[in-house]
Amino acid sequence: MARKRKKNEMQAGELNLTAMIDVAFQLLNFFVITSHPMAVTTNMDVFRPSEDKTANPAKPPTVLRIMVLNGGFTLNDQPATLSMLHSKLDFITKGDKTQSVLIMCASDSKHGALVEVLDLCNRLGLKTLSVISSS
Amino acid sequence: MRKHPDEYLSGNLTAMIDVVFQLIIFFVATVSLQDTVSDQRIRLAMAPSGKPVTTKDPREVYIDVDKSGQLRIARYPYSHREVAFILKKIVQDNGNNQVPVIIRGDENARHDAVKNVMDACAAAGIWKIKFAALKERGG
Repeated sequence: MARKRKKNEMQAGELNLTAMIDVAFQLLNFFVITSHPMAVTTNMDVFRPSEDKTANPAKPPTVLRIMVLNGGFTLNDQPATLSMLHSKLDFITKGDKTQSVLIMCASDSKHGALVEVLDLCNRLGLKTLSVISSS
Repeated sequence: MRKHPDEYLSGNLTAMIDVVFQLIIFFVATVSLQDTVSDQRIRLAMAPSGKPVTTKDPREVYIDVDKSGQLRIARYPYSHREVAFILKKIVQDNGNNQVPVIIRGDENARHDAVKNVMDACAAAGIWKIKFAALKERGG
């Protein structure tokens, strides 16, 4: 008597994909869990100084003052571009990286300009950075 | 010969259960990544000299400022008064003001909006803040 072929029996040349899909998912899970995205972000530390009630306004403090304006910068009240700011800051702070830098932002200035100044200070190794807002 | 009705229902469920479990594991593994994905509406400014962020503090509070000046925490919009209230509450709950606050400002946002966040931090007693920036522009 001829043996009847079962309906679910695999035909010659057929491939059971289930195991392959299982392994593919296993590998996908493994790589998703173990891979760490490349760090492309950076955080720049700044201080937000509080108002000093005892300060004498007649005697301004000896800190570097960078003003971030809408479309430009000033360094100690002298207008400057970003590259000028770089060379001047580099010259002034040569050897003294502990110099305090006060960054004053105009209310209509772009946040990107402030980050450019912070990045410049980071590049020059200046650590004591304070950001204040000017009206 | 006529098939017994049970024979029609006797599919092999093992493979399907396998795949369903795989999918569950995949989604569980990736759902936590969703929280760390930054808001795509915000275009961070470039800071190539900054140090890459390698360690994360679980207390970190990210405050997004988009180019229109809208403040968002975890993608939910808040007014600057609400942000100040939230930060005060976080400082109270932590018991100190050493909560790391990271401002993720759009490069075209006006400083006014960022100032509102800094003022909210000051009101909560947080003096040390960080600005997020990109070390390199992807894709």
